[in-house]
Amino acid sequence: MRARIRDAICGAGVMLVVTAAGGPVAAQTKAPIRIGEINSYSGLGTVYTFPYREGLLMAAKEINDAGGVLGRPIEFIFRDDKLKPDEAVKAARELVGQEKVDFLAGCISSGVGLAISAYAKEAKVLYIATHCQTSRLTWDDGHKYVAHTTNNVNQYVRALAKKAATMPYKKWAHISPDYEYGHNVWDEFSAYLKQLKPDVEVVQQNWPKLGETDHSSYVTALLQSGADAFLSSVWGAQEIAFVKQARPFGLFEKVHYFSASVGNPDELDPLGKEAPVGAITPGFAWYDDGMQKRHPKLAEWVKKYEARAKKEPTLGASWGYASAYIIAEAIKRAKSADTDKVITAFSEGFEMEFPWGKVIMRGCDQQAIPPQWIGVVRMNTKGKPVLADVEEVHGKDVIKSCDEVAKLRAAAAEKKK
Amino acid sequence: MSGLSVGMFLFLVSVGMSLIFGVTRIVNLAHGSFYMVGAYLMVTLVEVLPDRPWAFWLALVAAPLGVAVLGGAIEVGLLRLIYHRDPLMQLILTFGLILVISTLVLLVWGPDNKSVSRPDALAGSVLIFGQRFPSYYLLVLGLAPVVAVGLWLIFYRTRWGMLIRAATVDREMLGALGVNVAALYTQVFAFGSWLAGLGGALAAPTVAVALGMDGDVLTTAFVVVVIGGLGSFAGSFISALLVGLLQSFGILVFPAVSIVLLFAIMAVVLIVRPWGLLGRPEE
Amino acid sequence: MTASARALGLLAVVLALAPLALPPFFLQLLTEIAIVGLFATAFNLLMGFGGMVSFGHAAYFALGAYAAALLVKRAGVPMLLALPAAPLAAAAGALLFGFFIVRLTHTYFAMLSLAFAQIVFTVIFKWKSLTGGDDGLLDVWPPAMLKSPAAYYYFTLATVALSLFVLHSVSESPFGYALRSVRENPRRARFIGINVRRLQLLAFVISGAFSGLAGGLFAFYNGSVFPDFAYFTKSFEPLVVALLGGAQSFFGPLAGAFGFKILEWLVSRQWPVYWPLFLGTIVVLVIVALPQGFVGLAGGQGWRTRLIRKS
Repeated sequence: MRARIRDAICGAGVMLVVTAAGGPVAAQTKAPIRIGEINSYSGLGTVYTFPYREGLLMAAKEINDAGGVLGRPIEFIFRDDKLKPDEAVKAARELVGQEKVDFLAGCISSGVGLAISAYAKEAKVLYIATHCQTSRLTWDDGHKYVAHTTNNVNQYVRALAKKAATMPYKKWAHISPDYEYGHNVWDEFSAYLKQLKPDVEVVQQNWPKLGETDHSSYVTALLQSGADAFLSSVWGAQEIAFVKQARPFGLFEKVHYFSASVGNPDELDPLGKEAPVGAITPGFAWYDDGMQKRHPKLAEWVKKYEARAKKEPTLGASWGYASAYIIAEAIKRAKSADTDKVITAFSEGFEMEFPWGKVIMRGCDQQAIPPQWIGVVRMNTKGKPVLADVEEVHGKDVIKSCDEVAKLRAAAAEKKK
Repeated sequence: MSGLSVGMFLFLVSVGMSLIFGVTRIVNLAHGSFYMVGAYLMVTLVEVLPDRPWAFWLALVAAPLGVAVLGGAIEVGLLRLIYHRDPLMQLILTFGLILVISTLVLLVWGPDNKSVSRPDALAGSVLIFGQRFPSYYLLVLGLAPVVAVGLWLIFYRTRWGMLIRAATVDREMLGALGVNVAALYTQVFAFGSWLAGLGGALAAPTVAVALGMDGDVLTTAFVVVVIGGLGSFAGSFISALLVGLLQSFGILVFPAVSIVLLFAIMAVVLIVRPWGLLGRPEE
Repeated sequence: MTASARALGLLAVVLALAPLALPPFFLQLLTEIAIVGLFATAFNLLMGFGGMVSFGHAAYFALGAYAAALLVKRAGVPMLLALPAAPLAAAAGALLFGFFIVRLTHTYFAMLSLAFAQIVFTVIFKWKSLTGGDDGLLDVWPPAMLKSPAAYYYFTLATVALSLFVLHSVSESPFGYALRSVRENPRRARFIGINVRRLQLLAFVISGAFSGLAGGLFAFYNGSVFPDFAYFTKSFEPLVVALLGGAQSFFGPLAGAFGFKILEWLVSRQWPVYWPLFLGTIVVLVIVALPQGFVGLAGGQGWRTRLIRKS
């Protein structure tokens, strides 16, 4: 425990030094390419952003050690958004106006991502959204000044719905937090499931408020709904509370549990022996044998990450890592850090190989299309909950097509008038 | 049934806030932070204690005591310095404490979500009237009335309780009669913190112990205390049950307005009876 | 008086010339300081002069911000016409809520103002079709002529200066002195024929209106509005700012806004994790050790008003 406390304090201390020095120390003498990175580095969001930043800095160090991009080192300048969109816009202004960064990056909350995106469009700066997942970023509200280097809701929810469609369940219910993200997940899931399997029926809906701590009445409602299966898009601390409260009611034995996020370690690890065995959910199961067989380089990457972060990697860590490389690749292709040229590189699209498979940067919407993994929650031999039987679907096989995206954008533009 | 246990739980987490206000006139906004510290201490204790059935119970006793010490220290070190000032200054100070404590928790325990497993004996469920009911909630259902009765006994059957009641009515008179009011304040503040810590330690196995749990509980406890009457412990009890039932059934009957409803009721109570359902009007 | 008039004149010249010397980002920072300063000064009309501490002023800030943003976004009204709607909407809200709030005193006053603010927050958060819910309303930019940091800086500076002039006149008017007398002794004020509640309500509405104007200015400064604007943590901003600067003086909150925003910028860009710790510690220290705020520390005395009384 003592060691844990020390680690936390040292971790904070190291971070402080890194930020104070303005990112990794540049080995090269040429002027660095500066990227303003806005994310939630205090309070609630840190559970996601700390591993994400480790991944980002790890990639940045690798890139710089290998000679940088176009001979220039890349440098990230971090700012805290306090999980508030207006703070994020303020940070963006400072980064662009004062720090003279070449690009903006970051975001964990969708609201923050959309706000920075609106600012970027206005200020004509390229914004590379990284950790937030709303599809609106590059679709309904998309424009040329925004690119998205990680998964969006549409892909992993569709992958989950695709899995759900292969199972014999006809009657569905759901529990989703009553705000943008919750509605987004449920709309995507139910629409795609119906498309794949027209005879499914929604028998009951639950909309707890975001951050609700007591879910017993929803659990009772789900039990009485007569549904064969249900989808949950509550996440993080709220989902942990939901699972712990639902378990004694035997909900998971009666109604098959599909979750948008319970397979991630920030939820599975604290749940421990109370994890919902049998739940079907997306997740980055780097420890899974099948995963490591499919992706031979994954184990080595994990080792490198653990050596650096002193912790097991998370999906967020892989996103941070991939984001830095994707940004570097776009600059390389543009042969310049000039905003318009890099936008052109993004709009032409490209593909990259990562230790976990191929990531396609699609040109038409500047949206990343990574592989998707759906697995089942199981207990391993040590009694620790893990994601097992992981199936891989590539995002390109489920994601909305460029034509559909164009329609979404047209509809959004129509609505604005 | 679940509404009842939610209500009982709300009573446990809010009665301390009400008690502190009744005696010291401080609206302790850091109450949620004390609750959070109680839960985190619970996590640590369960982790360091040997993996035996009694460890859980020992932690459940020890974690709130840690919070009581913290509360007492804050009272002596900070709040005592400003009792002569406008009571609102104390309230703002406790707001500052929210920020301080939340950062310290992040630095000490790190950003990851944590949790405590229920003891095996209470992990399952029991059948009550043909309905499954989580056994752990029975603990809450049992403990809350024990705390309520205990509080009643303390208030009405002990000298200390008598002094507390006297302090809520007229502190200056009590001081003039030779009672050490300062010590009484410290004891009450520590006791109220203990109750917040107990709430947190009890909640730890049913929720995620995570950053932000302070704010979640603060708003609800706050509404409960205001509706019941700041300083009235019977009021807290009744209002906690009301809010618990409202939360459990309200969300099913009219989900869209249930949160607005909570604050609307609080506003109406404040307009009609500012001192709450069972509180006493201020002079 | 002449000394302070000279200081004020000097300040005006410095602020007017700032765009010549400062890079755009600092102009934006100054713009924000002016807006927060106005918000805190409006808030302090209640706290410092009226002895009424509202814990729900975020509601009026948000009402102003949303009124202006909605008119621009949903009705296509030009910004210069939409902005005046901000104080009007906030004043209407303040009149409605204030009618009930001023009936209460001290802690209960604070509680009820908080309850109303939470209702406003929840409605904004939930009414997605109108307010955009959690994602807020984006692209609320001022027209081209006010778009540059310098232009919007001048515009904000002029609006805030004018508002401060009005607020200052109010606080120095017979009404302002009646307000002070109510704060010191409501019963005696009633005896000398002051309609206490009506007076307090009027102060509440004025304070709400200027908070709303601050919200409107902030909406166009930020280019977007979010439900956060109405959340209870936002209500603490003017309070902390006023306390830091010194709630006893008219210009204290303005000084507080300056200090607060500069500190926030310096600390949270370097040590984001520690910013809440830092702010919380400062709040605690100011309350325990510096009841006059930093203005008091700087030796500013002779303020006619005193907020903190022995109870």
